[in-house]
Amino acid sequence: MTATQQRADAIRAENIGKRYGPVLALDDVTIRLGRGEVLGLIGDNGAGKSTLIKILTGFHQPDRGRLVIDGDEVALRSVSHARQLGIETVYQDLALVNQLPVYLNMNLNKEAVRRPIPFLDKKSMRDDAQNHLTDMGVRIPSVDTDVGFLSGGQRQAVAIARAVYSDAKVILLDEPLAAMGAKESAIIIDLILELKERADVSMILIAHNFAQIIEVCDRINFLQHGRITHDMAVGDTSVQELTELVSADYRGRASRREDHEPS
Amino acid sequence: MTELEERETGGEAIEPPVSRSLLVRVGTYLLRRPESTVAIAALALAVYFTLANEFFLTAANIRVIANVLIPTAILATGQTMLLISGEIDLSQGAVYFMTPFLAHFAVEAGIPLPLAVMLALLGAGVIGLINGGITLAVGIPSFIVTLGMLLIVQGVTLNLSDGFPARAPSVGLDVDIFGGAPFSGLAWVILFVAFLHIVLTKTRWGVYTIAIGDNRLGAREAGVPAYRITMRNFIVAAMLAGFAGIIEGVRIGSFDPGAGGAAGLRVFMAVAAAVIGGTVLTGGYGTIIGAFLGALVLAVLQDGFNIMGVSAFTFGIVLGAAIIVAMVVNALASKARIRSQSVKL
Amino acid sequence: MDVSGAGQMTPSRRNFLKSLGVVTAAGLIAACTNDNGEAAGNGNGGGGSGNFPETPEWNFVFVNHVTTNPFFVPTVYGIEDAGAILGTTHQWTGSEGSDIGEMVNAMEAGIGGGADGIGIALVDLDAFNGPTDDALAAGIPVLGYNADAPNNRLAYIGQDLYGSGFEMGLRIVDLVGSGKVALFIATPGQLNIQPRIDGALDAIAESGADIEAVDIATGADLTEELNNVEAWYLGNQDATGMFAVDAGSTQAVGQVVRDQNARDNALVAAGGYDLLPETVELVADGVLDFTIDQQPYLQGFLPVVYMYLWKLSGGVVTPPETNTGLVFLDSVGAQLFLETESRFEGDAEEQKIVEPVG
Repeated sequence: MTATQQRADAIRAENIGKRYGPVLALDDVTIRLGRGEVLGLIGDNGAGKSTLIKILTGFHQPDRGRLVIDGDEVALRSVSHARQLGIETVYQDLALVNQLPVYLNMNLNKEAVRRPIPFLDKKSMRDDAQNHLTDMGVRIPSVDTDVGFLSGGQRQAVAIARAVYSDAKVILLDEPLAAMGAKESAIIIDLILELKERADVSMILIAHNFAQIIEVCDRINFLQHGRITHDMAVGDTSVQELTELVSADYRGRASRREDHEPS
Repeated sequence: MTELEERETGGEAIEPPVSRSLLVRVGTYLLRRPESTVAIAALALAVYFTLANEFFLTAANIRVIANVLIPTAILATGQTMLLISGEIDLSQGAVYFMTPFLAHFAVEAGIPLPLAVMLALLGAGVIGLINGGITLAVGIPSFIVTLGMLLIVQGVTLNLSDGFPARAPSVGLDVDIFGGAPFSGLAWVILFVAFLHIVLTKTRWGVYTIAIGDNRLGAREAGVPAYRITMRNFIVAAMLAGFAGIIEGVRIGSFDPGAGGAAGLRVFMAVAAAVIGGTVLTGGYGTIIGAFLGALVLAVLQDGFNIMGVSAFTFGIVLGAAIIVAMVVNALASKARIRSQSVKL
Repeated sequence: MDVSGAGQMTPSRRNFLKSLGVVTAAGLIAACTNDNGEAAGNGNGGGGSGNFPETPEWNFVFVNHVTTNPFFVPTVYGIEDAGAILGTTHQWTGSEGSDIGEMVNAMEAGIGGGADGIGIALVDLDAFNGPTDDALAAGIPVLGYNADAPNNRLAYIGQDLYGSGFEMGLRIVDLVGSGKVALFIATPGQLNIQPRIDGALDAIAESGADIEAVDIATGADLTEELNNVEAWYLGNQDATGMFAVDAGSTQAVGQVVRDQNARDNALVAAGGYDLLPETVELVADGVLDFTIDQQPYLQGFLPVVYMYLWKLSGGVVTPPETNTGLVFLDSVGAQLFLETESRFEGDAEEQKIVEPVG
């Protein structure tokens, strides 16, 4: 075992299964995320990636399997529960509220309140949000702006900032680059790389742009038909190979499986 | 500065706004609020009716306007919280007529009025619970569920009352508090408006209500307790409807079952007040103060037309047209406001 | 008003022109506006109608519980016609759906808005008493119409509810003689129909006839009433009489008698109240023996006359309690009714003399 593997994995999901009515979203998924690692998760649309993320974040409960978080087996009851354990998520749809200002979005479900009457402590939330965004190098006109008025890249940045805001140890990013133009993607990638620098955050990143995946991730998992079929270090693969993997799956042929067994 | 950042900020570093006089700042703030359009509308209408009829601005008529205003305002504030969270309660009108009879039976059984009122409100809350339960657990749109409950509760009311009005309690301090004294109704309105306004703008309940209405899935993904908050709003809407019915019944001295389908009109007015006041029917945005002002606009319209002698057959046309105009004006004003705000960005 | 050259005019001429403009404008407005926008005759303040002196254009406010119910269409015609003769105007207001709070507000708006007289359908025992006292204290005459309650109103114009029920009870004894008789009522306890059934039951009891009278509730809307009457009849086909005390139940009784051929069984007589079109047809066809007309036209016409006289005489001429009707419409009368359309029946708007038929 390598030195990093001797410390407990940030998350380990074993034999996860999830069914929606007649549809088997996840069959038997075993996935591990090492400390300080960035794991890329790829697979065709509908392969179950979002479902897996939602299970890891406590939004859904799996039908089968178990989760081990930082060495302890845990059954996640809710998103708030996952958050307490240090897991934060940036959803594909961003989970932002357009009618609320940036600082309230960043504090959603973890608002600061006064005592004894639990009124919102807007001032402190505003200041914290502003400081945090500045720290992260995110530039938006004002934390009082309603999120609905921000551009796509700004919204994405806010969503990521929210996840990072709470000293999360694990951040799950579901297609954070999906609707981004080249320049906006660059900002987000810089953010992710900066997070990586901090070394105390582990991330799982779902994306379709393999160049971006290779730029950012340490390792890549391929989710196919409800299972992880390939697990490879970034250094051992290429954009071309990943592309062929995914399209081969689409055409129904398995190629080079013998070269990349799941570890 | 990167090219992207330049584009975002217009090429200049953002500086805090230059300090302007307090009056100008307060003025701009007020004009930006959606409630200002409604307030101006209410004022304009009041001026019009004052000029059109010498009796409009008399003490006696202002009391009538207040009496018309009070039930609609209370119904509307409860409805607004629910509308913001993305649901609607059409059964409010029927709960308004049903709840006084619950209080009546309690009083007849010897229970003192304040306790009787609380028990009756509990009954109203049960209706809210049912509304919320079926909507959230089964997943049928609240429009349909509460429409059905409107009919059911109307039937319940007729059965409870045998189609016949019941005498309201009329003597005592507790009676005065619950609608008997001349300004008690207005005091209750102010209390509820202030309370829910604070809830909406200063508490987590309010933030979550907006979040759920604007992006229910997203809010839930962020961990917001959507079911709990929505259920709470359903119950509040029903209980406020019941309370409005009780104090109105005490005021006129009689609890009446509204046998002719008056329930539908009551809830329509409540929703209209909320929408005129600026609340959006699709959820995510709304204002409690606006609901009050919307109810004021409706009360001024109703009483104004009445005092000008408009008769029943034309009344509906006139009032309905006025409501549509008010809503259109408010919608246009909102759009203009949003455009001006995004330009500032 | 920018009249060119006004700067060179003398002040007095300028003022004269200005006042001329105002007068013309006022005249135009007066010419365009009619009283309350209602289709009415020339309510121009009565240049002294008939022998009477000139009176101001008094405005009488009528508050009703079901303002759009067709039953009251003749009532409004009556108000209009009386107003045209006497030079008064009116407002027809209240609630469309029996919302008593709305009616109270309308009444209070009338009081505060300077109404010269108020007509109120007293469908509640308590709610209108305060406002009535307020109106009377302010010198505004208040009359009850169509429905009555213990209240300080000057008089009630409408059907004598108990009395008409009693008369019906006597007629039931005449027609039926003996046996099982049903009396249907839409909603027991309701203020403008319960007294009718009380009167009927009392009359039957006092007559000593060998009649077993039962009172049955039928419900608030037409289909419900039909179902309930039918259900009762099917379980009591030995009934000798079926009667009702409200419009909907009466129509239901007629329909059941016809559809079940009750007269081929034990049924001897049937009848009820009010003039729903179907009811009138059933009476004309002989399915029902009678229906009782409370003459809603008079319930509008007479209050206007009474309020006018009260105002004209300074309260010396006090309005009398008026029973607008206990007209038993039998098949002949129903025929006449069906063949004519008039303002008095509410189904035609034009003014005309109605020729008696037959």
